[in-house]
Amino acid sequence: MRYGGEGRSRLLLIVLIVSALFLITLDLRGVGVLEGARQGTQTILSPFQRGGSVVITPFKNFFSDVTHLGRTRNQIEKLRSDNAKLRAALLNRKNADAQLLKLKSILDLAGTAGYKILNARVISQGSSQSFSQTITIDLGTNAGIKKNMTVLTETGIAGVVKEVYSHTALIMLATDPAFRVGVRIAGSQQIGILSGRGSRSGSLQLLDNQTTVKVGDVLLSRGSVANRPFVPGVPVGYVTAVDNSAGAIAQSATVHLYTNFATLGVVAVVVGAPTVNPGDALVPQKPQPTPLPTVTIYVTPSPSPTK
Amino acid sequence: MITRQLSISTPIFILIYGVQEVVVNQFRLPAGGFSVFLIFALVWAILSTPDVAAVSGFVSGLLMDLSPSASGPIGQWTLILLASSYAIAYFGSGNENVKGNPVGVTFFISTTVFFTEILFVITGALLGVQTGSFGQVLLTIFGITLWTLVITPICLPVFSLMHDIALDTRSKI
Repeated sequence: MRYGGEGRSRLLLIVLIVSALFLITLDLRGVGVLEGARQGTQTILSPFQRGGSVVITPFKNFFSDVTHLGRTRNQIEKLRSDNAKLRAALLNRKNADAQLLKLKSILDLAGTAGYKILNARVISQGSSQSFSQTITIDLGTNAGIKKNMTVLTETGIAGVVKEVYSHTALIMLATDPAFRVGVRIAGSQQIGILSGRGSRSGSLQLLDNQTTVKVGDVLLSRGSVANRPFVPGVPVGYVTAVDNSAGAIAQSATVHLYTNFATLGVVAVVVGAPTVNPGDALVPQKPQPTPLPTVTIYVTPSPSPTK
Repeated sequence: MITRQLSISTPIFILIYGVQEVVVNQFRLPAGGFSVFLIFALVWAILSTPDVAAVSGFVSGLLMDLSPSASGPIGQWTLILLASSYAIAYFGSGNENVKGNPVGVTFFISTTVFFTEILFVITGALLGVQTGSFGQVLLTIFGITLWTLVITPICLPVFSLMHDIALDTRSKI
């Protein structure tokens, strides 16, 4: 009896393992039914994610403030003095203003380069359990979004449309380890490939072993055939460190991405590419240092010594 | 009996999955954050017999695979959670030091989450899933484990009660 029970248990385990391996094989062979299942899940979840995003936004801001406590200490001290009603009103206003500012900046960026864009709200951040870096936006095929379109923020590239559903789309962020974008260095026009590394810093691999890269070089997207997945001229980041190890075939470097992926609220999907390559038109201006007034005091010594 | 258990368990699994996808995934927490659904699946497994744990792990993994943000092929999480759930139930069965003690359960689940993520990275490497640099992977795994250590004691009474109601096992912690 006991052996019968153990045998049945073992059989169950084997059946489940074989089923899982069967699913992996089917998915890797590209069987459409399984992809359809994932799409179905997103279709069901998207209205809830949209609602959840609206409800949870104030809490998200709270967590964001907590994680940046050192930097927002002064702001918190100031807010403490306000009453609760004013604070809630300020919070709502702050959200709207920040989104408006971001949208304006995105429009400025897109307008300069001549990109035709669609603005979208981020309704869900992907889970990090699978080591992927994704977001879900509230626009899909019904708004004209297609797979492999460039996604922008107000400061530069955010990612690329990975999957499209009827009312939502999944965006692979530039920080995703599977993300690759062809880039060129503003000015020198040297080309290379930038890869995501799971954080805000990317890895640049130059294609030509004769060229060099230096700290501070600005990277722009090189553009793809038919402008998909990447339109040309989008700011990507700037070089923070250069790897000069001997024996390397081509130079590599570490790049700081312009986009702050921790605060993605609104993004823009490029649905129409410019007719003319914008070149280096979108290279961000370096911050100008504010001049500090200096006071010079001239002292003339008195003829007689003081006691 | 089985029909009753399934009819109660299924909505619970879907509910927690919904909470994970709709609420928890809205936050980009530092160091990878946590998965309330993964914690739930492992709590469910540790409170069950190895057979039930294997089936619940299979279903939980399948649900995680269906998540649009899952990077691997469908079946990867299914296989991993099946193995993790069976293992946690197998090693926990009969060991009252672990099962009857919330602190023990918390540590046991955090350790399992740690090994589950490592298993994901290893199988991911075999299946061609990009997981990032070694340092980033290490940071994420330790981050997720620490988050699990913090979140599990908060969720444990609720998940334990749900398990008790669904399977009527009187194994409430």
